[in-house]
Amino acid sequence: MEELGAIKKLNFNVCMQCGKCTGSCPVFPKSKLNPRRLMLETAYLISPLTMHPPLNIYEKSEIWDCTTCSTCSYRCPREVEPMDVIIGLRGLLLEQGRVPSTLGDALEGVYKYGNPWGISRSKRSDWAQDLKVKYVSEGEKAELLYFVGCAAAYDSRAQEVARALVKNLNTLGIDFSILGNKETCCGNEVYSLGEKGLFEILVEKNLSLLDQYGINRILTTSPHCFNAFKNKYGKDLAVQHYTQYFADLIDKGKLKFPQRVEKVVTYQDPCFLGKHNDIYDEPRKIIESIPGIKLVELNLSRGRSVCCEGGGGRMWYDIPGERGRLAETRVKEAIDVGADILAVACPFCLLTFDDAVKTTGNEDKIQVMDIMELVAEALLSSNEQVI
Amino acid sequence: MNVIVCVKHVPETAEAEIAIHESRKRIKTEDLVFDINEWDDYAVEEAVLLKEKLGGSVTAITVGSEDADSTLRKCLARGADKAVRLTDKAFEGSDSYAIAKILYKIIKDLPFDLILTGAQAGDDGCAQVGVVLAELLGIPHVTMVKKVESVEGHVKVNRELEGGLEEIVEAKLPVLLAVQTGINEPRYISIMGIRKAMKKEMKVLGLKDVGLTEEEVGESGSWITVEKMFIPPVEKEAEILTGGVDEIATKIVETLRAKGLI
Amino acid sequence: MKELFVLAEHRQGELRDVTFEMLTKGMELSQKTNADLTAVLLGHNVQEFAKKLANHAKKVLIIDDARLENFNAEAYQRVLFHLISERKPSLTLVGHTAFGVDLAPSLATELNLPLATDCIDLKFEGEKLVVIRQVYGGKVNVKASLRKSDSYILTLRPATFEAQETKPQGGKIVKIASPLSEDITYKRFIEYFQPPAGEVDIATADIIVAIGRGIKDTENMLVVEKLAEALGGVLACSRPIVDKGWLPNDRQVGTSGKIVKPKLYIAIGISGQFQHISGMKNSDLIIAINKDSKAPIFRTADYGVVEDLFKVVPSLTDKILEEKH
Ligand SMILES: Cc1cc2nc3c(=O)[nH]c(=O)nc-3n(C[C@H](O)[C@H](O)[C@H](O)COP(=O)(O)OP(=O)(O)OC[C@H]3O[C@@H](n4cnc5c(N)ncnc54)[C@H](O)[C@@H]3O)c2cc1C
Ligand code: SF4
Ligand code: SF4
Repeated sequence: MEELGAIKKLNFNVCMQCGKCTGSCPVFPKSKLNPRRLMLETAYLISPLTMHPPLNIYEKSEIWDCTTCSTCSYRCPREVEPMDVIIGLRGLLLEQGRVPSTLGDALEGVYKYGNPWGISRSKRSDWAQDLKVKYVSEGEKAELLYFVGCAAAYDSRAQEVARALVKNLNTLGIDFSILGNKETCCGNEVYSLGEKGLFEILVEKNLSLLDQYGINRILTTSPHCFNAFKNKYGKDLAVQHYTQYFADLIDKGKLKFPQRVEKVVTYQDPCFLGKHNDIYDEPRKIIESIPGIKLVELNLSRGRSVCCEGGGGRMWYDIPGERGRLAETRVKEAIDVGADILAVACPFCLLTFDDAVKTTGNEDKIQVMDIMELVAEALLSSNEQVI
Repeated sequence: MNVIVCVKHVPETAEAEIAIHESRKRIKTEDLVFDINEWDDYAVEEAVLLKEKLGGSVTAITVGSEDADSTLRKCLARGADKAVRLTDKAFEGSDSYAIAKILYKIIKDLPFDLILTGAQAGDDGCAQVGVVLAELLGIPHVTMVKKVESVEGHVKVNRELEGGLEEIVEAKLPVLLAVQTGINEPRYISIMGIRKAMKKEMKVLGLKDVGLTEEEVGESGSWITVEKMFIPPVEKEAEILTGGVDEIATKIVETLRAKGLI
Repeated sequence: MKELFVLAEHRQGELRDVTFEMLTKGMELSQKTNADLTAVLLGHNVQEFAKKLANHAKKVLIIDDARLENFNAEAYQRVLFHLISERKPSLTLVGHTAFGVDLAPSLATELNLPLATDCIDLKFEGEKLVVIRQVYGGKVNVKASLRKSDSYILTLRPATFEAQETKPQGGKIVKIASPLSEDITYKRFIEYFQPPAGEVDIATADIIVAIGRGIKDTENMLVVEKLAEALGGVLACSRPIVDKGWLPNDRQVGTSGKIVKPKLYIAIGISGQFQHISGMKNSDLIIAINKDSKAPIFRTADYGVVEDLFKVVPSLTDKILEEKH
């Protein structure tokens, strides 16, 4: 088992079985997923000792239930990084082809079409057709590259975020370009699913694209793309999530809002901005700078924020027989704190919450909006119609 | 159990825009993604499942250009032990019959108990290669196979008939089975798996190696020749409802109401 | 006079529709080419079938043998090899069915006669036989010619040619001795097997909402289930959904699934390949939702929506619920 080699390098052997990880894991209460136990089992897997009853790691399908929210790694007092061990275990299962079929399809989609939905490459920039954008792929140079990401490129709801972001950049007179149909998946979820080989291919492809078009700075819609470029590409790339970029514009006095948005807004910290990358203040700064908005915090926020269950491949995989999605609980919490709008900064949060609002029948109580959509509303010149 | 699986590298077209090539004899494939024929993927998985259960070896064979190597590598990664690609300029224009002849020439000298093929290929939909091959080899065949059970020198298989009905057939080994989708659940093939499979044996053979003449393959060795390809004429076309999503939904509801369906 | 063979297909005591479709097409061809339309019937105690066939053909050749009672490609092939070698029909038509695909290719190989399968049209251009076939899941048609021969074999796609009532032809029934000598031991028919039925019978439903591979994920099935519920209909599907195990196989519509004829059939994310189409094309009203405007399903549907199903379906469900209240 070559794959074990990769796991061996991880820190699981300093685990003291305190259970903080399991206690904080948002998925544990509704799944067999138990990071503490998995750390123990991994130790057995690697040691010559056998467990009683004997352990068959390949049968542990709950390994696919993890959202890679990183809460366990964040909380662990011994820096074990249980999430990385879980990703390593996924790699082990994957090599045996023991992956739920919908996740297999998503990975194949990325391999063949550059996106997990397996939609044709030729449709990747359809969302931008009627917008003013430069295409680096067609020789139109710009200093800043807007990396759209698969969800915002293909999902109809998330496309609205990409469109809002582009409109905002245009309103502010910022020069930027996109990769158009040349763009390919960043690989963050591929990495989280333990498909190392495919991830390497994507890294190579994307780096050579950046190189080919002489791109120096990247702006992403998704915290997932941001995380991949920043932490997983093994290169010092100048990448920013849009919340960082727009917060920066506010700091520099370059972003002022002509419109008021008279709403009570609460904000969901996406795992891949917050726990993974310690970005908590920038999104809040943007929301609070919009005149009229009152920002209220959810009971659990910042480092304690609860995952939307869209990460780690869970966009393409449901826990069998599961009931009660985290996003539903989260939506109810948002209503409880009196918010009119649940603001998000990640396309996966957008999609899971949008769905949860519908499944809980709360369409008339709360609305899910991406921060870029709030910004777009506040940036509208008075002769444009408010959404 | 030594199993030979015949596979084909085909373009995925279910969701793609298709354009006919200037020659009118084929489609443009530049923008299409190719992969193993869907039915063949099930056949390879079935072969590997049988090997895992009964031992033996699995050999994957294809007739195709170099591009088809990716399909063979996928077979190797799935668990095939060896792969053979048959390729030659002279093979171009071969129909299913000519392809079966090429396969026959190579397979007749290989040891096997079982040959698996897909029930059909997603591109030409001929559903012939397997059955012709079995006839050339002088062995029995069963098509539309949904389930295989191996019993002492025999296989017991379920064949899918129309209307959800199945028939159970028993055949003596060696036999050729053309498998239907859904017979198993093809496992995910990782990129690492494909890389590792690069080490496995992959042979490339041409016209001379298989011992056929130019007349026996290509158009001259075929039963049928493509005269032209065309986008099917529109006989009846649905009335396409246009407008925004809500507008469309309203139109549908109106139609349903008019017909008394709601 | 030359003969034109149509191979009768029957199963469990019934002649199958494709037989009459081929006889209708065969009649037209035989008149054009001056051949005798001859139905070929292999089976055991099939006198009744022969009488029926005689209404549609000039001649019925009947080969009665207990070993031909249930279809076995090996036995059929031996008999037909004999018959075709001897009588050299200008053309032999076989259905492109589970029966035909098991038989025609090996028969043609043994006879060394050219074969084209799954034809949706055919005609003689002089001596040359030209056929139309569909490729790439029905997105492209091919016109192909067969290698010149004095006898050809074709398999015809079922439910493509219309079976028409003609005035009884009063065909002559000719018994031919079975050429089968020994028993075929290397391949045996054991029995039919009907997979157990589930709780929903889609064949009797008035309203069917059917999903195909476009649904992409089990999770998304909920969206469509809601639509089916709102309409008071049942959920059905194309084959890939059954292959993935997302719905039981008694929900599959098509040649290898159920044939349905509801008042309303909504096809969602289904491309419309003929195996599916033949199972639902006689529905009273067909609405297709597919984001590919070129999908063949739009050639069968009455109304089409070229859109992402995830946009249309929820909105449609809402509108229907509103309408009902
Ligand atoms: C002997 C035999 C018997 C068979 N029997 C049957 C049978 O009984 N029944 C049957 O159905 N099949 C049968 N098949 C399989 C058949 O050939 C096709 O493979 C199958 O019907 C294709 O199913 P599909 O249309 O769902 O999938 P695909 O052909 O993959 O089509 C998916 C469609 O979904 C659309 N789509 C994708 N995403 C979206 C979206 N977001 N919104 C809207 N549209 C979208 C795409 O444009 C595409 O047209 C049989 C095959 C064989 C060989
Ligand atoms: S929190 Fe860390 S130390 Fe405690 S059980 Fe989990 S992995 Fe082990
Ligand atoms: S990453 Fe999140 S979901 Fe996964 S085990 Fe850790 S806490 Fe649980």
